[in-house]
Order: sequence, then C-alpha cells, then structure tokens
Amino acid sequence: MENEILNDEDLSQVRAKDRIIKPALITASVISVLIFFLYLSPFFQELTVSGSSATTNSATLKKDAAYRRQINLLKRDIQLLSSRYGRYTSGQAYLVINTTDNLFYLYRNRKLVRQGHCSTGSFKLLKTQEGRSWIFKTPKGKFTILGKTTNPSWKKPDWAFIEEGLPVPPPDHHTRFEYGVLGEYALSLGDGYLIHGTIYKRFLGMPVTHGCVRLNDEDLEAIFHTLNIGSKVYIF
Amino acid sequence: MDPENVNIPVISRPERKRFIPAITGAFILYYLIMMLIAPVKTLNSINSEYGFTPDEKSVVSDSIATDSTYLALFRERAFIQARVDMAASDSLCLSLNLPDSSVNIDIAGVTVSRTEISKMTVSRMLKDRQSYAITSMLSKPLTIENAFSSIPREPLMIKMAPKDTSEYKPDIIPDTADYEPVNFILELEEGIVIYVYQDERLNAFDGIRCFFFDLGYRFVRTWRALKSVITLKVPEYNPYIKLRLPREDAKILYRALPEKGQIALLR
Repeated sequence: MENEILNDEDLSQVRAKDRIIKPALITASVISVLIFFLYLSPFFQELTVSGSSATTNSATLKKDAAYRRQINLLKRDIQLLSSRYGRYTSGQAYLVINTTDNLFYLYRNRKLVRQGHCSTGSFKLLKTQEGRSWIFKTPKGKFTILGKTTNPSWKKPDWAFIEEGLPVPPPDHHTRFEYGVLGEYALSLGDGYLIHGTIYKRFLGMPVTHGCVRLNDEDLEAIFHTLNIGSKVYIF
Repeated sequence: MDPENVNIPVISRPERKRFIPAITGAFILYYLIMMLIAPVKTLNSINSEYGFTPDEKSVVSDSIATDSTYLALFRERAFIQARVDMAASDSLCLSLNLPDSSVNIDIAGVTVSRTEISKMTVSRMLKDRQSYAITSMLSKPLTIENAFSSIPREPLMIKMAPKDTSEYKPDIIPDTADYEPVNFILELEEGIVIYVYQDERLNAFDGIRCFFFDLGYRFVRTWRALKSVITLKVPEYNPYIKLRLPREDAKILYRALPEKGQIALLR
C-alpha cells in the first residue's frame, strides 16, 4: 500500500515535469526553427558565394597592341564621360535647398558663397468638408528662375482663406492682395512657387510654408542679386 | 459495404511523434539546399547576361576580362557611365561610392549633398571587384523597386479646414522623425538590397527598434523564399550593402529619393 502511494507521488512529479518540459521543448524548437530560417540560412547562403574572381594579369597580354588599344580606349571614354558629367555643374550661380533640414546653399563659380536657414513646405494636407484638398509641400528636383520681382505683393489663393475659416472672395477682390508680407524681393520657380522673404522670421529653419521657400531679408537680397533669370535651383 | 468497416490507416501517437520531426527535418534540408543553390543561379544568370563578349573588330584576347588594370578602368567607366545616364533625368539620384565611403545626392548631374559612410558591410558577390559581369551590370543606374522604412517619406499632417474664424488654430506639429530612429531598406533592380541604419544610438530603445525593424524585413524575405521553395523554385539571392550613416544624413537621403529613384554604385 505504501509503495502504491509513493508511485502515485512519483507519477504526479513526472506529470508536473512533463507539463513544464514539454512546452519548453516546443518553444525551443520553434525558436530554433525561426533562427534557422531568419538568420542561419541567409548566413550559410552568403558563405557559398565566391568572394573573388581570378585575375590573370598576363605579361604577354600587356605587351599586346590590341590590349593597349583597349586600355587607351577605356581611358579616353573615362575622360569624355568625366568632362561630360562635369559640364552638368554650372559655373554660373545656382541655389541648393535642403527641405529636410530647411537649409539653403548658394554657389557661384562652383564655390559655396553663402548658406543659412530657410523655411519650406509644411507637408500639411488641408481638406474641406466639400472635398477640396491642398498639399503644402515644396517640390523637389531641378528648377529654373523664371522671374524676379521687387516689392512683390501676394495674391492670396483660395486655400489662404479656407485655412483660416474665412469666406472665399471673388478672384480679383481687394482682400486677396496683401503687401509687404513677401519681403522686398521674390524669385519665381513656376507653378506659383516663389523664393521670397517673410515676416515670420522665428519660423526660419522649420517646415511651415505652403510650398514656397522663405528666407530672411539679408539672405534673400544676396540671392536675388546673385541669381539671374535662367539660374538653376536644386531642391532636395 | 458498410462504411464503418472500411480500414482507414491510423497513425498512432508514437508514430506521429517520429513522423512530424522527420518531415520538418526533410523540409529544412530541402530549404537549405535551395537557398544554397540561389547564389550560384544568380551568378550564372549575371554572367550569361553581362559576361564578357569579345568585340568582333578587336583581336584582343578574352583574358583581358580578367586583367586587373583593365578591370579597374572598366569599373571607373561603369560608374561614370551610370552617373551620366542618371544626370539625363531631372530627378534626384544617389551615387554610392564604396571605395570612397561616400554617398552623394545628385540632381541632374549636380551633387547637392555628400555623406560620409560611418560603417559598411558588403556581400561577397558585390565585394568581388574583379568580376567583369558584375561591373558590367553596374554600368547602368539601378532603379529602386521597393522601400521599407521606419520613417514616412513625407511626414504628411491632415488638417480639416475650419468652418469659420472661431475654429481657426495655427498649428505647428513637430516632425515625428525627430524622435524616431531612421532605418530604411531599398530593394533595387538585379536583386541588390541596400540597408541603411542610423549610426547613433540616441537612447536605449533605438537598438531594440533597429533589431525589430531588421527582424520584420527578415520575415518578409523568408516568406518570399518559403513561397519559392514550396512551389519548387529556387529562391532569389540578394547581394546586399549595409551602411551605417549619421542619423540626419540618413533622413535626408531617404526623404530626398523619389519612390522609383535611381542609384549608381561603385565597388
């Protein structure tokens, strides 16, 4: 009878161990399989790749006239392509705008002559109940200065009223025109995008505009006098 | 015939215990074999598509394709050729110069930003600088096919227009990328994958987030490989370049690149 009681205890101990060991084993197996698929198999795959192709560097080949011709041909190609590539960077003045950090860089004769803070598009998507929408972002890529203006006035588009909860006036209504808010100069990039001044100088260096590029007065003046119509602006 | 008397073979529990590990083991072995075949298959297809074909007019020996002087010049030309091709478009492109440890953002042939690579790891296939076929493959720009990232490309904020001036509130919402770690993965043409991780650990969680970001992409790749293997196809092998860049530069690179941007690569 005593033996039977002991056996029952043993049995329950074994069952208890089983309850712990079994799930642990299953978990360990699943983790091992995952490690194999996620880490080990790509690792082994990489080991099978041959790291270096054999080179011959035969002395006889190097003396061959056809070989030398091929080498010269390659050197000439490299020179031609390099000079072609070099011509893409203009010797004229150009402006680079970094929209992620809101910085500008002004170059003249391929040298950086001025840099500073600017403000670019806020990435705000304005939606109305009626289903109209506008995204306020500065376009990226290569642009050309299409026009230069002194003492520009701002003809407020519809979104400028909608954004503030104001009723939208007719197209040439006097309330659409604001003077002095764009600074003393404006340079046009086309499609309504301008490089201009601002009265909100505390926001320079932040993405707060409706797509235009805002600068402080001194930087704007320097850029206005350095860039000509046709000068390039690179925005990234 | 009474359906209840039909003899259906029943696998007993001990047999099942042996059967499941055996099947799993066999599948793992088959998967591993397919994975090991993948790089060989990729290299063979690159060699057949981009391998050296002697010019009919030229009488130069085929061994020129294994000459290190020729290959060094050929690599240089391939890189410039790819950059010239990219310059023809007005779009933003990347030039990745591994020997120089630098990444440039180019717009229409003008370098507008340059970043120093802090650390890099390159897969053995791309490390092989003496391979004519791989250099030839890289003589054209590689287009981005897919991108995975820990930050949005455009940090868009949606704002409903106020009904009147009483509802109007000027809002400046901070860019979330100022707090989130910047990690991204670019899948390019020809199966090349570029991993970019921020170099700095700004807080303890950055490392953990980077691990989970990497783990997520490993799941994506493993799932693709499993789908191929199950359908009896050799999975794709992806030569890779892993870069660690300063956080700010990584963010600029990712945000500057268009969705289907192009990359020129010099190894």
